[in-house]
Amino acid sequence: MNRQAVLKSLSSRFQGDILDVFDKSPRRVFMEIKPSAVVPIARYVFRDLGARFNIATGTDMRTHMEILYHFTFEEIDLLVSLRVKLSAQKPEIESLTPISEAFNWIEREMAELLGINFRGHPEMKRLLLSKAWPEKVHPLRRDYKEWDKNAVRNRGLT
Amino acid sequence: MKLPKIRELLEAVKALVVGPYTSRFPRKPHVPFKSFRGQPQFNEDFCVGCLACEEVCPAGAIGHNDAVSGGKAVRTIYHYTDTCIFCGECEAACIADHKGIKLSTEWDLAFFDRNRAFESIDRDLVTCERCGAVVAARRHLQWITDRLGELAFSSPTLYQTKLKELGLIDDNPAAVHRENARSDRLKTLCAHCRRQTTAGA
Amino acid sequence: MKKTIIPIGPYHPLQEEPEYFTLTVDGETVVDIDAEIGYNHRGIEKLSELKNFDQSTFVIERICGICSTSHPYAYVRALEDIAGVEVPPRARYIRTIIAEGERLHSHLLWLGLAGHFLGYNTVYMWAWKLREEILDVMEIVSGNRNNYAMFRPGGVRRDINPDDIPIVLKKIKKIVPTLTMLHKAVRDDPVLHARTKGIGVLTKEESINFSALGPTSRASGVARDVRKDTVYGAYHEMDWKMIVTENGDVFDKVVVRMLEMLETIKILQYCFTHLPAGPIDSGLKGIPAGEGIGTHEAPRGETFHYVRSDGTNRPVRHKVRAPTFMNLPTYKATVKGSQLADAVIILAAIDPCYCCTERMAIRDPGGKRLFDGRELVALSQRKSKLVQEQLGIRELPLDALGQVAP
Repeated sequence: MNRQAVLKSLSSRFQGDILDVFDKSPRRVFMEIKPSAVVPIARYVFRDLGARFNIATGTDMRTHMEILYHFTFEEIDLLVSLRVKLSAQKPEIESLTPISEAFNWIEREMAELLGINFRGHPEMKRLLLSKAWPEKVHPLRRDYKEWDKNAVRNRGLT
Repeated sequence: MKLPKIRELLEAVKALVVGPYTSRFPRKPHVPFKSFRGQPQFNEDFCVGCLACEEVCPAGAIGHNDAVSGGKAVRTIYHYTDTCIFCGECEAACIADHKGIKLSTEWDLAFFDRNRAFESIDRDLVTCERCGAVVAARRHLQWITDRLGELAFSSPTLYQTKLKELGLIDDNPAAVHRENARSDRLKTLCAHCRRQTTAGA
Repeated sequence: MKKTIIPIGPYHPLQEEPEYFTLTVDGETVVDIDAEIGYNHRGIEKLSELKNFDQSTFVIERICGICSTSHPYAYVRALEDIAGVEVPPRARYIRTIIAEGERLHSHLLWLGLAGHFLGYNTVYMWAWKLREEILDVMEIVSGNRNNYAMFRPGGVRRDINPDDIPIVLKKIKKIVPTLTMLHKAVRDDPVLHARTKGIGVLTKEESINFSALGPTSRASGVARDVRKDTVYGAYHEMDWKMIVTENGDVFDKVVVRMLEMLETIKILQYCFTHLPAGPIDSGLKGIPAGEGIGTHEAPRGETFHYVRSDGTNRPVRHKVRAPTFMNLPTYKATVKGSQLADAVIILAAIDPCYCCTERMAIRDPGGKRLFDGRELVALSQRKSKLVQEQLGIRELPLDALGQVAP
């Protein structure tokens, strides 16, 4: 399977769900998809096309919350990033953990660092932050404010 | 299974003869390789006090303090050995031909008291004659003047610093003039006052 | 059925970064395992957003002490992906040298510790002795044993002094015979076979399912190596083999790493002898707005960096994914059903980085019993002894000899 075939099979199969395709370079393709279609597309890419799941990256873009799911096709050296845009107030998306164990930890990480709700995640608990970290405080959000009054940040010099 | 063990035995004998890889450190002083990146050290002769090193330091290991007291202004630049990561960015960014702060091969940096884990350098500052604010380090202004050449004579702050260094003037000539509307222009001024006196705002 | 819960961690000699495993055991068999991470979460992604692109290189260099070049490598590749710059050949070669030197010392460190867990302290001492040679090479080349501070978006920061190359090549050459000897010793040691063959098997399907990376996946027959898959560095300009084995057990993971070290030495020797002349920096000034992805094959697998820039001098988002993040969850497939004495070496086989501190608690439902982390290592070592006796091998004087020397 070559590069064209991968992109063609994706765009023909999920015609209505792919909102935008940005062909950045021969090795990078960014695809914006509907949040509702993330499970079938991810399953197709991961299971049927045999791509390797790199990681997902969540970003708070102020106007919206964005998740990029990165998949690598190793044989053809192509990295496809599926972009979903979620609402900034109540970010919520279907969990991909039922497809594969590989999605488990990163979804837990995004949930605590960005406050994205993954529906149907089998073991949603904290991954990175300590137990002393307050609830509902998500450090990678843009509106994050330092909550620890005792933290020392400089040595008294400018 | 006995035979393959011979090659391991050989290695063991070799290890016994050659001895350990580590040096006999406390008894024999350790000499690092020439390229070793050790503690950055200020150079009294070259540092101009421009703070470029502080600007680029990724660890925030370089800080400064400007003290103005009794008409004498001094900038103290600190380098904290315990925060330093020995990356060499300060040396790379140093405007004084990469000589103002330089990585040494000094590696013995243990301290009993963390508060003493720093070294510092003092640089004289030039202050604004109108408001008293800090303009820049004296040697930094001289460095700029040298680079600008004759163009430096467009700025009284620069050429007066230079002329003072050369011993051609002993004090600001404008300061001995009567205070009048235009004398401001010939004074050593900070950027803010320079704008105010020039634009007349 | 009475079950015992055994916590490993947060501080344990197996782990470079503190992790906390809860093993549920039934007798000697592990029936369930769970992991808690985050003891070493330092908010580097957030910190990186507060520093400029150049300074971030040093922040992320300190994500890991052992793979201190993998992260900067992936990061600068992400920035070069945004800016679309070509790295000059000499810089590519220097980058490859640093990355491969790091792989060599990382694998040697792992080999030493794996030997220690199995009760082969001689291997431990010898592997770490070899590691000193390569750390000296790195010190000559970059100025430090770790944290090389060589990478810059668009090139490298320091050049290699041509006078150093003969010294460096001599040091690398010195490693080869001992390494070959160690490799052969691993290959035909009956105790090692008994302890590691068929233990902690990660099947090919599971490996793909977990998206496992690096030697962990290559031992399971998944040919996955960023150095081969993507064109970067100097890897495609020379001849080297990707080591893939089929069984996926601990033994194969040892073999993959051992053979990989020999390949790495080949790459290093080629790079030092064929170092092209030319500039070491492409003079990249400023990062334009955009998104970039950089990957690099770290000693433990693919490191993944995603950087988003808005045209200022700081990243809007910088995502770091270390290989252990994908490799560690494979414990779910490998540890279950194994024996407690094997759990240590299975967890160590994925090379989840190591930590020097040791502390572990064994807790049974009734009360709480806290004791030293040496206990579990001792348990593993005792098993090796037992296997030795069963195989009719007496304690060789070799071990005593080897331990006198260091």
